[in-house]
Amino acid sequence: MRAVFGLVALDGGEVRWCGGPIGERERRRFGYMPEERGLYPGMRIFDQLVFLGQLHGLQVGPAREAALLWTERLGLADRRADRLEMLSHGNQQRVQLAACLVHAPELLILDEPFAGLDPVAVDAFSAILAERASAGATVLFSSHQLDLVEHLCEAVAIVNCGRLIIEGRVEELARSGPPRLQVRVAGDPVGEWARDGLAGVESVEVGPDGTVTLTLFAGADAQAILDAARRAGPVAHFSFARRRLSDVFREAVGLADVPAEMRIPASAPIAPPAEGTRP
Amino acid sequence: MNAAWWRETWLFARREIEERSRARSFRITTVIMIFAVAAAVVIPALVSHHHKVEKVGLLEGSDSALTQAAIAAGRVTGNQVQVVPIGSLDAARAELRSGALVAVIVDGREVLIKQQPVTGTTSSTATFSGALAQLVGVAQRLPPGASRLALTNGIALPIRGVEPAPRSLANRFTGLGVDLLIYLVIFFYGMAITQSVGEEKTSRVVEVLLATVRPTQLLTGKVIGFAGLAFAQMLVLGVTFVVCGVAVGSHALRGTAGAVALIGALWLILGYALYCSAFAAAGAMITRQSDAGYAALPLLIPLIAAYSLSSSVLFNGANPFYHVLAFIPWTAPVAMPTLFAIGVAPAWEMIVSAVLCVLATIATARLAGLVYQRSVMRTGARVKLRQVLRAGPT
Repeated sequence: MRAVFGLVALDGGEVRWCGGPIGERERRRFGYMPEERGLYPGMRIFDQLVFLGQLHGLQVGPAREAALLWTERLGLADRRADRLEMLSHGNQQRVQLAACLVHAPELLILDEPFAGLDPVAVDAFSAILAERASAGATVLFSSHQLDLVEHLCEAVAIVNCGRLIIEGRVEELARSGPPRLQVRVAGDPVGEWARDGLAGVESVEVGPDGTVTLTLFAGADAQAILDAARRAGPVAHFSFARRRLSDVFREAVGLADVPAEMRIPASAPIAPPAEGTRP
Repeated sequence: MNAAWWRETWLFARREIEERSRARSFRITTVIMIFAVAAAVVIPALVSHHHKVEKVGLLEGSDSALTQAAIAAGRVTGNQVQVVPIGSLDAARAELRSGALVAVIVDGREVLIKQQPVTGTTSSTATFSGALAQLVGVAQRLPPGASRLALTNGIALPIRGVEPAPRSLANRFTGLGVDLLIYLVIFFYGMAITQSVGEEKTSRVVEVLLATVRPTQLLTGKVIGFAGLAFAQMLVLGVTFVVCGVAVGSHALRGTAGAVALIGALWLILGYALYCSAFAAAGAMITRQSDAGYAALPLLIPLIAAYSLSSSVLFNGANPFYHVLAFIPWTAPVAMPTLFAIGVAPAWEMIVSAVLCVLATIATARLAGLVYQRSVMRTGARVKLRQVLRAGPT
């Protein structure tokens, strides 16, 4: 992400935008929220937003209008004259988001925009990002909150230890991999019925409420499995499971069998982020 | 460096000017400095305007009509004159040196004073002795025997000092004030630049800024902004100086003291230009805001050295060591105006030293720009200069 803005040199390859190299003119139309947040602590937030708008090529009038608009939308209307350092952490995050939106960028790059936000702020931020995307902007952000990414993004790229390991549209990734069936038979809380060696089943997992998740081999007969379930009792639930993004992630980084608390070591130098894109 | 480049750079300069001039500390300092300058001009003028009796010696055997001329000279210059007879020329010289007499009229031929006044100066002694020479000259014309030569040479008698012409004391005091201002401006604005760059780095706003602009723009804008503030402040002080000086008729405004102030202003610009980029580089190397002072300190050492020696040089004369300092770019901004104030800096020395300073400024700015670019995005441990210079761009 920093390489897009020329803040770090690339080891290899190049970053292109609309087919061309990225220069200063292009960067002026980009918005950036770095992972380590930072704005002028002692500057009034309205002045700060106008300043950043002008820095991205806006005239003072439009910059002021945009600063008014975004402080209004992010619930900062009564804090415009306050210095940034007087605001709470959550409000500072809002200013940071306003700072990268103020010049209506055509590409928004946000490094972990949802880190440290409360659920209400997460909703507000995601709504704004979705709105910018539908208004035609490209939004690229990194996040470890995969449920949110799955909900919000159209396409993702999974990066592990600095290498891209998977990329694709969220829909396609959810449908990729071996098909999985989720079946619950009423009156069978331990999934006894599924332990009799069903044909075409690779593995069986039993959930706490008796829901059995069956990973099928390609070409397995789901109807035969449904029949087997019905023989055991009334079938309360039967569906093909959509693959969660977190499962895609675990499988992709090869940590599927590692206990949850060890999957992403806190001390790892490069935590594998999933990147969501929304063209 | 196209229009957009300057437009963005100017945004940084303007931000710095607006934010700093809004700060209460800046306003308070400015007001205090205005009062200090006003006091420095007004108080000496008020004190010196106490009418005292000026004693004028008249060599025995001179025409008594000259006594009237001397009293008249006192009247036109606002002094009360007492004429005392003097036995011999040697006695007259001794009395002048001790300060007991302000002037001696020698046989109606010349006016003797303690020190030859510098051309153009208008200290009270210079004004009075000038009037005395005129009026005694007029008185001399009247009696028979006034030479044709005296008429063709003008009416005024020659004024001669018993001691050689010095740079006036006013110049030395002006030099003291000029040195103090140069020192303070570079010191305080330099520290402010270090702190401001350090704040941008430690608050991480620099990453947002450098995503759009180049480091050189940020650096240039900051340096220009602080320069604008510093020179606006100096301009206000200069206007205060002139207005107060005119209002109370201060001698500090006339003669060569003004030249000392002008040379001081020139060296302030040279000194600021030399130091500012280095202070910015120091700010880019810190990782905690509290380290700003330590990072800037090494840069201040030459300035402190030149300044702490300057008052001794102003009142006791220059030594060869101080002449050397006047050619080293890092000490020249204080040392050169000091030498000029005491009248021992010829034009060629000034020009050579200024050229050296400009060359050093270019070299420093290049090096500082490199250090700034390579360290402003580095976090973690304090950045070491050697690492920065060795490493490639990050």
